[in-house]
Amino acid sequence: MLGLLGEQGSEFAHKVDFANDVVTIISVICTVAIVGAMLYFAVIYRQRDGKDHETPMIEGNNTLEVIWTVFPTLVCIWVAWLGYDAFVDLRSPPADAMEINVTGRKWAWDFQYKNGKKTTSELVVPVDQPVKLIMTSKDVLHSFFVPVMRTKMDVIPGRYTYEWFKPIKTGDFQVFCTEYCGNEHSKMLARLKVLPKAEFERWLADDSEERKLAALKPSDLGKELYAGKQCISCHSLDGTPRVGPSWLKAFGKEGELADGTKYKMDENYIRESILNPQAKTVKGYPAMGMPSYQGQLSDDEITGIVEFIKTLDGSQKVEVEAVAPKKSAAAAGATPVERGKALVHDTGNLCITCHSLDGSKLVGPSFKGLWGRKEKLSDGSEVVVDAAYIKESIWKPAAKIVEGYGPVMPAMYEGKLTDENLNDIIEYLKTLQ
Amino acid sequence: MSAHTETAHGNEELNYLNWKTGIWSWLSSTDHKRICFLYLFAIMIFFIGGGIAALIMRTELAFSGAQIIKDPHTYNVLFTMHGVFMIFLFVVPGIPATLGNFLIPLMIGAKDVAFPRLNLFSFYVYVIGALIGGYAMLNPVDTGWTFYAPYSTTTDTSVSLMVFAAFILGFSSILTGLNFIVTIHQLRAPGMTWMRLPVFIWASYATAVIQTVATPVVGMTLLLVIAERMFGAGIFDPSKGGDPVLMEHLFWFYSHPVVYIMVLPAFGVVGEIIPVFSRKPLFGYKMVVISSMAIAAVGFIVWAHHMFVAGISDFSAKFFSIITFLVAIPTAIKVFNWVSTMYKGSISFKTPMLYAMAFVFLFMVAGTTGIYLAMLGVDVYYHDTYFVVAHFHYTIQGGAVIGLIAALHFWFPKMTGKMYNETASKAAFAILFFGFNLTFIPQFILGMDGMPRRYYDYPAQYQTLHTISTIGAYLNGFGYTFALINLLWTAKFGKVKAPRNPYNSVSLEWQTQSPPVHENFTEIPVVDQDPYHYGTPNHKHA
Repeated sequence: MLGLLGEQGSEFAHKVDFANDVVTIISVICTVAIVGAMLYFAVIYRQRDGKDHETPMIEGNNTLEVIWTVFPTLVCIWVAWLGYDAFVDLRSPPADAMEINVTGRKWAWDFQYKNGKKTTSELVVPVDQPVKLIMTSKDVLHSFFVPVMRTKMDVIPGRYTYEWFKPIKTGDFQVFCTEYCGNEHSKMLARLKVLPKAEFERWLADDSEERKLAALKPSDLGKELYAGKQCISCHSLDGTPRVGPSWLKAFGKEGELADGTKYKMDENYIRESILNPQAKTVKGYPAMGMPSYQGQLSDDEITGIVEFIKTLDGSQKVEVEAVAPKKSAAAAGATPVERGKALVHDTGNLCITCHSLDGSKLVGPSFKGLWGRKEKLSDGSEVVVDAAYIKESIWKPAAKIVEGYGPVMPAMYEGKLTDENLNDIIEYLKTLQ
Repeated sequence: MSAHTETAHGNEELNYLNWKTGIWSWLSSTDHKRICFLYLFAIMIFFIGGGIAALIMRTELAFSGAQIIKDPHTYNVLFTMHGVFMIFLFVVPGIPATLGNFLIPLMIGAKDVAFPRLNLFSFYVYVIGALIGGYAMLNPVDTGWTFYAPYSTTTDTSVSLMVFAAFILGFSSILTGLNFIVTIHQLRAPGMTWMRLPVFIWASYATAVIQTVATPVVGMTLLLVIAERMFGAGIFDPSKGGDPVLMEHLFWFYSHPVVYIMVLPAFGVVGEIIPVFSRKPLFGYKMVVISSMAIAAVGFIVWAHHMFVAGISDFSAKFFSIITFLVAIPTAIKVFNWVSTMYKGSISFKTPMLYAMAFVFLFMVAGTTGIYLAMLGVDVYYHDTYFVVAHFHYTIQGGAVIGLIAALHFWFPKMTGKMYNETASKAAFAILFFGFNLTFIPQFILGMDGMPRRYYDYPAQYQTLHTISTIGAYLNGFGYTFALINLLWTAKFGKVKAPRNPYNSVSLEWQTQSPPVHENFTEIPVVDQDPYHYGTPNHKHA
């Protein structure tokens, strides 16, 4: 009706919204009526000449007291029922709901499917299929909030809680943690991806990647991630400094940070540098050179990277090929803008790792206001951002570098993203003004 | 007092402000009126501190991305500080300990509270609690004012000290409550029957009962948090068979009734101001009294409405939702009665009346948005979003703080013996009222859009509303600064002496001189009429 809570993504969303609309209308009417009466009295009974006029000694009226006790009571019963009714739906998952295990931890969400498939920070579900999330926490309280589905439940260590929803449309939606959990609370986000059924089945069955990674020993896992997560773009294995320090003989090394303090590259230093790269920057390297991998790597994966770095002691030459382009998962969404949004937000594509959507400067230029912007390039020339420029920048990132940024974007998208994908992305970027 | 002092002061009457001088005469005074000022001074420090923390946060949140605060930890510390300062150190002791102290004996026709020395002791207990709390901020706490376990039992900051400070502050609150209960029972002037008590006294009485009964529970809870941190007691630790949700229950068992500690006295203030400036008896006095007591009673059994999505059973959620609606009804009754009081009145718009009318509007918003949060299916969506933030700021700031500021203007002539500056006060009122709404109306919309609270940073889609809210916060802060400086300035340099009864009120505190003498009344008054005896008894109204 009023559309106050935005897009409706679940079957029961309309019920919540109806209750919300009813209470909104009643509240507005009551507030306007009471404040209106007060202002009306204030105007017509004001002291006109600054002096008291005679007033009646009215001490009360029992009929009125009864009316304004009974009337609000009836209204309360009605809206209480509406809220109750919606709540019953929210708490009653159907028997055929697909169960997904959810684990909250500081500060990311892990998901596990019945067939063993695991994801982090990305919950993928099929449309028109009830989904029940069985949730627990590894550390402190968290809360799993999916605004578009109108549901939320706290996630508690030492016990299971649940929430459920039946998605009614495909798309890419925001998930928030809404129970305060410490430093990175506001970064404890996840994406909810609702796919068409067939596509979801394909996605769920595709466990080649997971199985391969699960069988690896930690240092080999780290080696895979080195290429897969694009560490390779900025950190060499042969001692040459790139955007970031080389990993060769890096473990145990001591040195100086940008602020003059000393550091030692141990396990905790590596972990911090991956999750919060700006906390400590090695002297001589750009302060904003690396994006945070918060929420993109599991603890096991971080350990894998640490173990991999430990193996680079110089005793043997290690070479890693940049990863062969892998086709991006087909983007969900009915319109080009929706598909483009899904592609940009796809963690596998890593776009928003380096390009912000809000105008803030990360490793690369922000996507906000990008379309049509005049950019000054490092060779001094100027270029207006159009479709041709964007396509070139994605497929051949090194061709044109905006002044103030480094040539650090990996050339991994040619073959990974189709021409059609690029057009969708461009349509989405146009909306970010 | 000696003849000598009387001549020394010439025509100037001796009053509680000047009958003894020197800083020590204030710090060691057992006079309830002076203790009011001790509290007022102390709580204002924390009001200003908490306010500055809020403005820094709003500045950070004005735009998406990091602005002036470089790390989330500092932000988390700031919202904890804002909450702890505002709740435990400003609003909870705010109206009861300042206005309650000043007004209860005066309004019931007593020389002082029942236990004047205990009263001073309560103040120093407060000071000790405040000092420990201030010391704890050296390794600042980042748990939020709610201290939820297991975050609070595991974080690396000085939670134990802060919680201990809150524990001590609780004692101050209990002792003050006890003192007021006995005072109201025992020290009423001849003829001051229960049904002749001003509604502010009834509200203070209800508040004192809550303070005395609920505070021990939070004291116990806070001790358990300390036991958990120091000795690993395991009460809230699931790996030892404990339960973090228990902490939430215990916390809200106190912290929900505490909302009524904050706001009931403000209801009382409004109930005093509207009749005086309308020249009408308070409409439905008995219902207003009954509704205060009903709110205090029902307020004890609604705590779990803070926990609909906390993992309590669905049955509990339903139960607490229904009970919560019971609070809405007495609150609505009060609003109807205030507005009806103005009917056929002779209304003048002095600053306190403007605040009281603003209060009615703000409290309508607070109350109706409270209904959203009592509705189960709707609260699931709004829980821990900016909608809740806006709702409780309308309740606590729009209710309790506006009530306090209204009272400081209304009783200013009695407290200081001078008249406040009407023009400046009205200007300050206008700015802070506008600023307040500009701050928090956008936050309701943010909540509807799903923006979670306690976020250091947010997705760009929320930016416009946050920017507007920040502008509102600056205006709001400026309005308060203006209002308080105006009052302080007038108290010190004001030239206009207040008469005994500038508003022509019938209640007792206005019958003695302004400011009152040391023991309030030169002779104990005898009461022979209702507290709001305005209007003409046989006036024929069409």
